[in-house]
Amino acid sequence: MKRRFAGLSGVLAAVVMLAPLPVAAQAGATYTPPRTREGQPDLQGIWQVLNTAAWDLQDHGATLGVPAGRGVVEGNEIPYRPEALAKKQENFKNRQQLDPENRCILPGVPRVTYMPYPFRIVQQADKVTILHEYSRIIRYVYMNGNPHPEGPIDWFMGDSRGRWEGNSLVVDAIHFNDATWFDRAGNYHSDALHLVERFTPTGPDHLLYEVTVEDPKVFTRPWKISMPLYRRQEKDIELLEYECGTYLLKQEWQKPDSPLFNQP
Amino acid sequence: MRRWLFGALTAFGAVVVILPVTGQAQAFYRPDTPKFPQARSWVAQRAKLPPYRAPRTPDGVPDLQGNWNGPVGGGNDDLEEHAYIDVTTPPQESYVSDPPDGKVPYQPWALARRNEIRAGLARGWPGETGQRLYTDPSSLCTNGMPRLGFGGQEIIQKQGYVLLLTANTYRVIPTDGRAALGESAKFFFGVSRGRWEGETLVVNVTGLNGETWIDSAGNFIGPNTHLTERWTRVEPNTIDYVMTVEDPTIYTRPWTMTYPKRRTGTGPGGNAGAITNAVAAAAGVARAADPYAKEVWENTCLEGNQDNVVLLKKLGFKWFDAVTPPK
Repeated sequence: MKRRFAGLSGVLAAVVMLAPLPVAAQAGATYTPPRTREGQPDLQGIWQVLNTAAWDLQDHGATLGVPAGRGVVEGNEIPYRPEALAKKQENFKNRQQLDPENRCILPGVPRVTYMPYPFRIVQQADKVTILHEYSRIIRYVYMNGNPHPEGPIDWFMGDSRGRWEGNSLVVDAIHFNDATWFDRAGNYHSDALHLVERFTPTGPDHLLYEVTVEDPKVFTRPWKISMPLYRRQEKDIELLEYECGTYLLKQEWQKPDSPLFNQP
Repeated sequence: MRRWLFGALTAFGAVVVILPVTGQAQAFYRPDTPKFPQARSWVAQRAKLPPYRAPRTPDGVPDLQGNWNGPVGGGNDDLEEHAYIDVTTPPQESYVSDPPDGKVPYQPWALARRNEIRAGLARGWPGETGQRLYTDPSSLCTNGMPRLGFGGQEIIQKQGYVLLLTANTYRVIPTDGRAALGESAKFFFGVSRGRWEGETLVVNVTGLNGETWIDSAGNFIGPNTHLTERWTRVEPNTIDYVMTVEDPTIYTRPWTMTYPKRRTGTGPGGNAGAITNAVAAAAGVARAADPYAKEVWENTCLEGNQDNVVLLKKLGFKWFDAVTPPK
C-alpha cells in the first residue's frame, strides 16, 4: 500500500505533505495489524487466493478448463537447470497421469496455499496452525524455539519453523520429499527444497504472501513468488469439506481397470 | 482415530494385519487382559464426583483447552460390550450408557443389516461367514463423524469457535449462533454448531452423509442421523464426553455413548490428538524427554496406503455407501 506522490504538482504535493499522516504511513506506508492476546500481529481468519497459480506459476494463456493468468514468479522465469527443465516439460506433457494432485496426496508447500480452497490461520503463543479445507490438512508452524529436527526427513508438507519479523510471519521450511509439485503445469522440486515464506499484513483484509524457493538440485539460483491473500468477506464463511482421497477412491472403486488398482 | 487397519483375510485364510501408513503406537493384548471400563464404569464413577466449576477463558466460558486422550483400551473396534476377540481387540464394556443394556437400539431391519455387514468383515471374528462384503471405511482413509469423537484431541477456544485438532484432521465448531447449512449439503464430518450451557459445550451435528461407520465392526449411522455432543469438564483433568445419536429411520429410540477424556499425561487413555508420532520413530528421532515431544509431526494416510487399497480391492470388498432405510 505504498502511497505514490509522483505525478502530483509541487503545490499539491506540499499540501499533502502538510496534512497529518498516520504514524504507519510516515514509517514507510506499512499497515499495523491488531495484536492477539499474546501480543503477536493478528493474522487470524479465513483466507484464499484469487489467481491462477494453481494451474501455472508462470504467465500462461487459456485452454479448456484453465483460465489464463499472469504469473506469480518474480521476473516470470523459473531458473531450472538444463536437465531439470527437460523433466518439467515431460511433467507438463504427462500431467494428467503424473500430477500428484490427481491422486489426492498431500499437495506440498507452497502449492497448498494457492489451491482454490479457503484456509484458516489460527495463532497460539508457540505455534501458528493453518487449517486447509482441502483434505482437512493441518499445517503446523512451530514458534516454540525448537530448530528444525535433525534429518534426513522426507515429509510431503515439510517441517515449518516460524518467527515474527515486524508484522510479518516468516516461515522457514525444509525436510520435504520429492513427491509434490508446485502447480498443474509440472513445475516441481526435489527433496532439497528450502522455502522461506513471508505472510505480511498489508491491510485489514489482505496478506502479502511471498516465498523464496531454493533447491540446488533443480534450480540454478533461488527464485521468488508473491501474491496477495484475500480475507473471505462472506458473513458466514467457514471451512467446509473436500475429502479428495475418499471421493477419488469411491469413483475408481467401480472401475475394474482403474490405474489406481493396476499400477505396475 | 486409529490409523491401524486390521482384518482382511487373504486367499490363504491367514489374517492380514494391514499395516498403518503412520499412526499411534498400537498396543497388542493377551487373552487374559482385564475388561476395559467404558460407559458403565464411568457413569458410576461420575455419579460420585463433587460439583466442579471449570476456570473460564477470557471470553468467560468454561476453559476446555489443552490436550485430551481418547478412551482407554482397544478404541472403537466394537462399541458394544464384548469379550476378548483378538490381539488388537481386548475385552471391553460398551460405550453405550443408554439404553442400559449397552446395545445400539436398531430397528429390526437395521440390526439385520448391521449383522450382515459384520458377518462379511472377513477379519477372523466370531460369527463371520468368511464372505467379504465391506472393509472398515477407515482402512481406506475415510474420516468422519461420529467416529472422530472417539479420538483424543487438542482443544483450542477462540472467539466464535472451538477448534479440535487430532493427529491428522480437525473440526471447527462455530459457537457464534450461525445457522447450519441446508439439508441437501452432506458431509463426512457433518456440520457442527456449538453453544455453551453452563459448564457444558453442546454441539449439534447435522448434515452427515452416513458413509462412515461408528466403529470398525459395522455399526452405522445414516444420512438422516443427528448427533448431540456434550463436553463437560467434571474435574481439572477430566472431560465427560457424551454423544447422543438420533435417527428415527434407523433406531427405535435416541441412544447415548459416554466416556471420560483424560488430560494427556495425567491419566489413562490413548489416541492423544496432539502427541503422536510414528514418523518420528521412523526418522530415528529419540522421543524420550526431547523438546519435540509435544509437537505433531506429519501424519499421512492414503499417501502410503496404495498397497492396502490394491489388496482390499483384489479381495473383493465392496464400497460402502450410506445405508438406505426401507420406505
